[in-house]
Amino acid sequence: MSARNAFSRSGRGGTGTRLAVFGLLGLIFWVGILAVSLKVLGYFKSVEQLGTLLSFKLLSMLFITLLSLLVFSSILTHLAKLFLSRDLSLVHALPVTSRRIYLARWMESTFDSAWMVVVYTLPVFTAFGIVFKGGVLYYLTTLSAMASLAVVASGLSALVVMAAVVLVPASRMRNIFVLLGLVVFVLLFLFFRLLRPERLVDPEVFSTVLLYLSALKTPDLPFLPSTWAYDSLRAALTGAPGEALFNTALCWSFAMFIVFTSVAVADWIYFRGMSKAQAGARRTFRPRSAAVRRSRLLSQPVSAFLVKELKSFFRDQTQWSQLFLLGALVLIYVFNFKALPLDKAPINTLYLQNLLSFLNMGLAAFVLIAVTGRFGFPAVSSENEAFWLVQAAPISIRQFLWIKFCIYVFPLLLLTEILIVVTNVFLNVTPFMMVLSTVSVLLMVPGVIGIGVGLGAAYPNFRAENPAQVVTSFGGLMFMVLSALFVGLFILLEAGPVYTLFMADLNRRPLVFLEWLWVGASFFLAGALCLVAMIVPMCRGARSLADTHS
Amino acid sequence: MIELDHVSKHYGRIAAVDDLSLRVEKGEIFGFIGPNGAGKTTTIRMIGGILKPSTGRIRINGVDMQQNPTAAKRSIGFIPDRPYLYEKLSGSEFLRFIADLYQVDRRSADARAQELLAMFTLTDWAHELIESYSHGMKQRLVMAAALLHDPAIVVVDEPLVGLDPLGIKLVKGLFRKLAAGGVTMFVSTHTLPVAEDICHRIGIINRGRLIATGSPADLKQELKVVDADLEQIFLRLTRDA
Repeated sequence: MSARNAFSRSGRGGTGTRLAVFGLLGLIFWVGILAVSLKVLGYFKSVEQLGTLLSFKLLSMLFITLLSLLVFSSILTHLAKLFLSRDLSLVHALPVTSRRIYLARWMESTFDSAWMVVVYTLPVFTAFGIVFKGGVLYYLTTLSAMASLAVVASGLSALVVMAAVVLVPASRMRNIFVLLGLVVFVLLFLFFRLLRPERLVDPEVFSTVLLYLSALKTPDLPFLPSTWAYDSLRAALTGAPGEALFNTALCWSFAMFIVFTSVAVADWIYFRGMSKAQAGARRTFRPRSAAVRRSRLLSQPVSAFLVKELKSFFRDQTQWSQLFLLGALVLIYVFNFKALPLDKAPINTLYLQNLLSFLNMGLAAFVLIAVTGRFGFPAVSSENEAFWLVQAAPISIRQFLWIKFCIYVFPLLLLTEILIVVTNVFLNVTPFMMVLSTVSVLLMVPGVIGIGVGLGAAYPNFRAENPAQVVTSFGGLMFMVLSALFVGLFILLEAGPVYTLFMADLNRRPLVFLEWLWVGASFFLAGALCLVAMIVPMCRGARSLADTHS
Repeated sequence: MIELDHVSKHYGRIAAVDDLSLRVEKGEIFGFIGPNGAGKTTTIRMIGGILKPSTGRIRINGVDMQQNPTAAKRSIGFIPDRPYLYEKLSGSEFLRFIADLYQVDRRSADARAQELLAMFTLTDWAHELIESYSHGMKQRLVMAAALLHDPAIVVVDEPLVGLDPLGIKLVKGLFRKLAAGGVTMFVSTHTLPVAEDICHRIGIINRGRLIATGSPADLKQELKVVDADLEQIFLRLTRDA
């Protein structure tokens, strides 16, 4: 009923349109995965002797990965649905047995945790069916295998979660799992990037990799459900229906066994764990002393907001994952520049290095836009319903907004300058380009932050549950568009004079007076643009916030 | 002192507050009562500087709220009906935040915070995050925060919601003590017996208009109902209006 009501109201406010757009994007993504899978499998099949072996090795690895993903996803969803959902107090107060509640929630959670994983691995299995000419039995076996794996993963996760919640607070466990999952994902991504996959375009390297992959031994665990699922699909693809049916039956019998076991365990400990989860968690670490040294350099209101922002940010465990992702993003960005094969480029290296440095300013600015969208744009909205404190306090909205600006401009300026300086060192640019880049970033950052904080004030959402919700709005879109336009315009204004100066230096030719005038005027305009980008949105935002929330 | 001079607040064609004029003297506890949707919270929020009136003037100790809101707000301790706070701060950190926001001298602020936490029996919870507080505890913390900068005026919306009997007794005693010390109290409440008990004067608002004002005794005399309590007076006035 909730889903029906949510959908029946979706026509209001353009939510139906948003659903259609995201649905279309999802479909495009699905088709993309199918296309890539067909390409890869088609290539593998064309490789003599190794082709089929490689394909089935891939299938085996896919099933292990699928099971791992399903288990991880199920753990998080079970924690939420079985122990942390807000309506649990109401539901458990009803005259319904906890077994029924557990079963209902478990089924809902199984669907929620599995549907996306299943839907977006289907194209890979479909590609297998197309390339290896699987019949109806293959496709039926695929659906059955995925469904049974989803049930097994969900049942196993429920057992783990129910046992763990009795010992560790549910909310803390969820945060730990989210962070762990993110750490593993980022480390895998970093590892993959550091392997430099772009080398695979080199045929010699690629054939070596193929030989290596064919020699890889995937874990031979006959008691893993993923092994039975793989065996059933392999049998269906190779024309052994009896074996396929046997392994399918094995999967489902184990799935049923897990389900019945989890229900029996739920009868015993689910309600105990649920009650424990309802109690509020006390702090693990207490501060050592009540008196905290505040900065005497900053005024009291600035110091108040700065301390509040820092403490609120670092105590929100969901924010740690954002910091971790940001760190990984910076590492990968810097590594990409280190890995550039400049020595193999057909263009003059000095020219290319400095051209890349100039373009790097734009790239770094786009990283800045992304980070500002995540942290700067939701700055005002992050006050949430406590915004009345700001309204009632003896500071103006304008003052409040500039305090927010100052809190975000310094760390983001530091981040962007680090990106620029380190990448310029890898590019071995001229001193002129180094100075130009650092000064340009120094001017651009306040502009982007001004647009972010200003528009965030003009389009606040004090009811948002998290910052991602704030930025996925009309205001967030305006911010992305306007800040991209600002950066683009800034780069354009600088491009001409920088090229003139660089070429004059390269050719050892002095500039004439008119050229100097043009260079000066362009840089002046670029600087003025930055000033306007910083001030105008901030003033507009302050006025809009004061008018609409007063 | 609080002065409202022909204050109105319109939301489109709806007049949430309509031509409200009143004056609350120094050291007075003024009770503001009315049915749901009468305009109490809107009035309270205008006095606190959170909402701008559509017309009229509000003066706080002679300072015009529209002309000089920063100076006017410095004199006010505002206590809302729903205590939304920064959940990731502890009680003591929140008080420190408020002290800095109101530019209270840092040396005296910490001592005053400790005193208020003890007064509102929150000392044991001072270092716990606000997200672990009950509604009543958050309400008491907000009161402590409102008094931290020793305001000349305290504006309160529904002060007793979520408080246990001990908390109610504490708040009533505190309001009397503050008023005796010269603090102007503007209190909006649905709890009529409490309003009758502690308020020097009562103002009754209905559909945005102030329909009666005076001490409980004055109101009874005006309606010629000597034995009636404030509830009966309120019901009669709001039914007739």
